[in-house]
Amino acid sequence: MKHNRIMKLFEYGLTIWIIITLNFLLPRLLPGDPFLLLSSDNAENEEIVMTQEQRDYYESYYGLDKSMGEQYVTYIGQLIHGDLGYSIYYKVPVSQIILGRLGWTAFMVVSALAVSTGIGVLLGSVSAWYREKWPDKLLFFQMILLSEIPVFLIGLMILFVFSAWLRIFPLSGAMTPFEDYTSWWDQLSDILNHAFLPIMVLSISQMGGIYLLVRNSMTTVLQKDYLRTAKAKGLSQKRVIFHHALRNALLPVVTRIFLSLGALVGGAILVENVFAYPGLGRLMRECIQVHDYQVVQGIFLVVTIFVLLANFLADTVYKLLDPRVNDSGKV
Amino acid sequence: MSKIKNKMLKIWKVIKDFSILGKLSLVMLVLVILMAIFATSLSVYPYDFSSGDALMAPGNGHFLGTDDLGIDLWAQICYGARISLLIGFGTAILAALGGGMIGVFSGYVGGVPDKIIMRIIDIIMVIPDFPLMVLLAALLGPSLLNVVIVLALLSWVTPARIVRSQVMMLKEQTYIKVAETYGASNWYLIWRHFLPAVFPILAVNIIRLTGRAIVSEAGLSFLGLGDPTSKSWGLIIHYATSFPGIYYTNFWKWWLLYPWLILTLVVMSLAFLSRELERVMDPRLRIRA
Repeated sequence: MKHNRIMKLFEYGLTIWIIITLNFLLPRLLPGDPFLLLSSDNAENEEIVMTQEQRDYYESYYGLDKSMGEQYVTYIGQLIHGDLGYSIYYKVPVSQIILGRLGWTAFMVVSALAVSTGIGVLLGSVSAWYREKWPDKLLFFQMILLSEIPVFLIGLMILFVFSAWLRIFPLSGAMTPFEDYTSWWDQLSDILNHAFLPIMVLSISQMGGIYLLVRNSMTTVLQKDYLRTAKAKGLSQKRVIFHHALRNALLPVVTRIFLSLGALVGGAILVENVFAYPGLGRLMRECIQVHDYQVVQGIFLVVTIFVLLANFLADTVYKLLDPRVNDSGKV
Repeated sequence: MSKIKNKMLKIWKVIKDFSILGKLSLVMLVLVILMAIFATSLSVYPYDFSSGDALMAPGNGHFLGTDDLGIDLWAQICYGARISLLIGFGTAILAALGGGMIGVFSGYVGGVPDKIIMRIIDIIMVIPDFPLMVLLAALLGPSLLNVVIVLALLSWVTPARIVRSQVMMLKEQTYIKVAETYGASNWYLIWRHFLPAVFPILAVNIIRLTGRAIVSEAGLSFLGLGDPTSKSWGLIIHYATSFPGIYYTNFWKWWLLYPWLILTLVVMSLAFLSRELERVMDPRLRIRA
């Protein structure tokens, strides 16, 4: 038992180490001149020809004249101190930019996680209860349809309809620019108004998966003997569903919620760009356009480590919730 | 000749089992493939050169309108079908071949190599793939080949897992054991027994991977990481959304809507087609001939 827990921890540690090493090696091994990027930071892509002296100066300034091993040690040391490098475009430390934008993405992802889980569980239960009758068939078809459309295409569609055509919701951003808020309530409602569509799009993209899982797991649970007993006892339908069935059916959903985080983050990058929402995904596109790859790498690192931590948490939580789960992985 | 006829009849039988949605998807895909093949003759206007006023609404000869440079949108979409399908199928075949090989090797050899490959697969599965794709594509630089390589590198995992589990099941079968005792080499076994047996599953997976690849490429292009010399559907969307204030104008109603529509239709068709094939090929439903 303990041995396996340590193995798992080791595996996650290994994955994080590989990610960090990859992040270190990629720009150094791939073709390309770092000074070409450095000199094109003013967006007009004008190349400055450097003399050999200047090149040597910059190489020693950025530590690129040292051996790979030495560079690697320096890199790890900087990471431990939370130093992700320096943005050549924004002229501030990368960690500072990422911290400034992280909140918006986290807010969006966490809200979408909550909304999609809530609706997915509800619809999945309804579907399982009415299995093979029309509500189930209708829901099943719609959910399959929704789960097959890629998230940024849903995003564009919803933006077309609700913002560009009907003009119910704002087109872009997270807050109305230059707005003077009279109260905190005003500010909050403005933020929610802007966040509503992006969160809805992300939720829709995740809902299908959760719905299918709940439907399956609920159907299995509903056939169990203890459910028949509960019904035979004359308990109300509500009590049978929520108290007896749902609690047992939700176990696989817990892991799924954490595991879907990776896909959600990927979706958030695209959705933020559809709605011009000022999170990490938007930042990524801005930095790609000005070739500021330090920031792109920083975002990748931060996002990946968060997702890995969430996955590790999922493993742990699952074991805490279900004593039946033994370490051979069988339920 | 009769062999070909037999094959055709078999395929026709499978298609006849499809639901309405499956048949529609198939028709849609055939149309888009034809569109890609005959891209140059389907449109009177060039796909890469201005042929009218900028931002003309549909009508007046340009039946889907023009973009901000006056390039005909229909021509761009026809030509974009080539790029998008090329990337989709290219990635899927590359990933399925590579993943299939790794899967056969891992499943057949077993032992330590299998364990190592499974750990690598586990690691790739937990890394969020889209951010990694963005990083790789950004660092490699925009080109068609690079996009295909990046996408294939991140999508061989599923075919590898499927093939591995199939091969592990197959290698316990008596006919394989018999072939082994007759002295069949590993290569012979792989070519004559394993690959034909896993091919149907791999083929269905290729369709699914194609859809994924087209979406991922569109996503990367949308972020500005596409190859600017070959305009895929995603890149048209990128240029349209980069146009300042496009939603305050009417331009999005053709410039953005039509590429979006074709992308959605193709991706959905691929998804439904692979679903249909999975259903038809499900061994629980299939009657052994």
